[in-house]
Amino acid sequence: MIKVKNLFHSYNNDEKYAVNDISFQVDKGEIFGFLGPSGAGKSTTQNILVGLLQLQKGEVEVAGYDVKDIKNNMFNKIGMSFEQSNIYSKMSGLENLKFYGKLFDVKTRDPMDLIRMVGLEGKEKIKAGEYSKGMKHRLTFARSMINNPEMWFLDEPTTGLDPAIASNIKDIIKAENEKGVTVFLTTHNMYIADELCDRVAFIVDGKIRLIDSPKQLKLKYGEKLVEVEYYREGELLKERYSTVVEEEKNKLVEIIQTNDIQTMHTKEATLEEIFIKVTGRGLV
Amino acid sequence: MKFWYSFIKEMKLSSKSYYFYIELGMAIVLLFILLFVVPDNYDIKGKEYIYLDLPQVVRDRLRKDLLKEDLDGVSQHLKVEANKTAFPAELYETEESKIYLLDSKEALDAFSSTERVPAVHVRVNEDNQIVQTYYLQGYETQKLKNLLLVFQNKKAGLDVIEKYSDNIIVRSIYREGEPLSDKENIIPVILTFNGSLMSLFIIAAYIFLDKDEGIIKAYAVTASSVWHYLLSKIGVITITSIVTTLIMTVPIMGMQPNYPAMLIFIVTSGFFAASLGLFLSSYYKDITQAFGALYIVIVIMMMPNISYFTPSWDPDWVKIIPSYVMLQSFKEIISVDGNMSYVMLSSLGFAVLGINMFILANYRFKKTLSL
Repeated sequence: MIKVKNLFHSYNNDEKYAVNDISFQVDKGEIFGFLGPSGAGKSTTQNILVGLLQLQKGEVEVAGYDVKDIKNNMFNKIGMSFEQSNIYSKMSGLENLKFYGKLFDVKTRDPMDLIRMVGLEGKEKIKAGEYSKGMKHRLTFARSMINNPEMWFLDEPTTGLDPAIASNIKDIIKAENEKGVTVFLTTHNMYIADELCDRVAFIVDGKIRLIDSPKQLKLKYGEKLVEVEYYREGELLKERYSTVVEEEKNKLVEIIQTNDIQTMHTKEATLEEIFIKVTGRGLV
Repeated sequence: MKFWYSFIKEMKLSSKSYYFYIELGMAIVLLFILLFVVPDNYDIKGKEYIYLDLPQVVRDRLRKDLLKEDLDGVSQHLKVEANKTAFPAELYETEESKIYLLDSKEALDAFSSTERVPAVHVRVNEDNQIVQTYYLQGYETQKLKNLLLVFQNKKAGLDVIEKYSDNIIVRSIYREGEPLSDKENIIPVILTFNGSLMSLFIIAAYIFLDKDEGIIKAYAVTASSVWHYLLSKIGVITITSIVTTLIMTVPIMGMQPNYPAMLIFIVTSGFFAASLGLFLSSYYKDITQAFGALYIVIVIMMMPNISYFTPSWDPDWVKIIPSYVMLQSFKEIISVDGNMSYVMLSSLGFAVLGINMFILANYRFKKTLSL
């Protein structure tokens, strides 16, 4: 769905590139996470992919369209949820969705369905300017689905949302993905990336440092250990055993069979730890 | 259809915005000022205050001479006020001036010292010669002083001046109808600034509001073109301009203006001005940053006003400023038998310029969508 080859972008048309020779591909039906700290080049890349920034150098294809010569038709297949809510504040939530629905050439969704989906039912007739930040964000998110996009760009979709609503948004993303929608997720939240993404790309200083699935990354960079807490003769013990060394594996089995186990955790690395290990920088 | 939806949406949004009502409100305020404050014609006749300190016989003879020039052949007895004191006076109104004959030196002194008006003391000196003493106020030009010297002393040239004046023939070149009254003459200025040029600033304000809300970005990722968005804004502003122009014109001018030509001209000149506003606003992130450029445009657009009210100052470079053409075109539109060829030609010019400016603005907006 997305093919990017040797993409460069400079805001001042000089050699100081905000995006510096990046290449990647996103397959149909995939959730692809674009992870990086602020100023890494995530938004620049995404803006080029959706035509908000002009392509300067490189080859970019989105949903079968060459981004160098963007046609309006391309946007019938694309949905874009912005990090900053951008809705008509003087129109109600429902009016916003109804209006945007008229700007596409394809069959669009029922605005009320989307309102319900993001939990704004009962608030649809209130002016969007009177919505809270989280409600505006949900409306922006709902709007990005109005045209049943095949390729869905999500920029920090859960930022500023409380955990329950963020969980709802994640469920919607999963459900849409199960229907075959390809998702390009830009975020610096490694938990949502870990939970949702089939593959992630780490981008720092305009360069992609690594692309892989979260699972593979954890296997590759995580320690293959299990930490176990158990009672033996009334005393609480905490020990670590390798899941690779045969002798330690057997010892772990024995402990499980003969003792009262309190907690047991695999010591796999988080995406953030891997990001720091790979890039030498945090995700802030 | 997408353009139509955008236009309807913009109409709805405009009806909910302050700008729309400010424009309508201003049109109504201006209408009331024109209707109830501005006179049909200004009183531009010079006022002269004269005290004839002369023997009765001479005074009567001078009065008789004045009555010959008086418009209705009858003088008017009234009271005139100076330094909060009312003085009796006799008014003679000629084609060029209003002459107040005062009846005392005290009245003359009051007018010359407190009212800042020129006054004349006419008396007979020891040699039985009539002497005029002018009490000037200091703001009179040297030309006027010279003219008074020539006229009163008859030293040189009076006969030449009279002969020259008598040979001047004033002939209307192309217009047969009545000239515009002073009130009507103001209307082109108001229509130019409140109708056409205001489009420039209002559209910039609308665009910066949308930029602030990130609306343009959201629009750019739909299957609708950016030019739909831009043109729908221009459409709304054009409608507003037409409404405000009619509010100000119809009650004052009635059916005198050529309304079809007026509509065409508002659409084309407004389209040009709004496209210029779009183009300018494409360079800036918010109205604060754009203010410098907008201010320069305001000052340039105001220059032709000087030429409009001072026809003797009409350099060629002023004529290429768009507001000059707008002023002249609106004047032709509201005049009886106005020059419609000029109006149509300038409409065509604004349409062509507007299209070019709109294409540039559209290109700029597409290039700066992420701003």
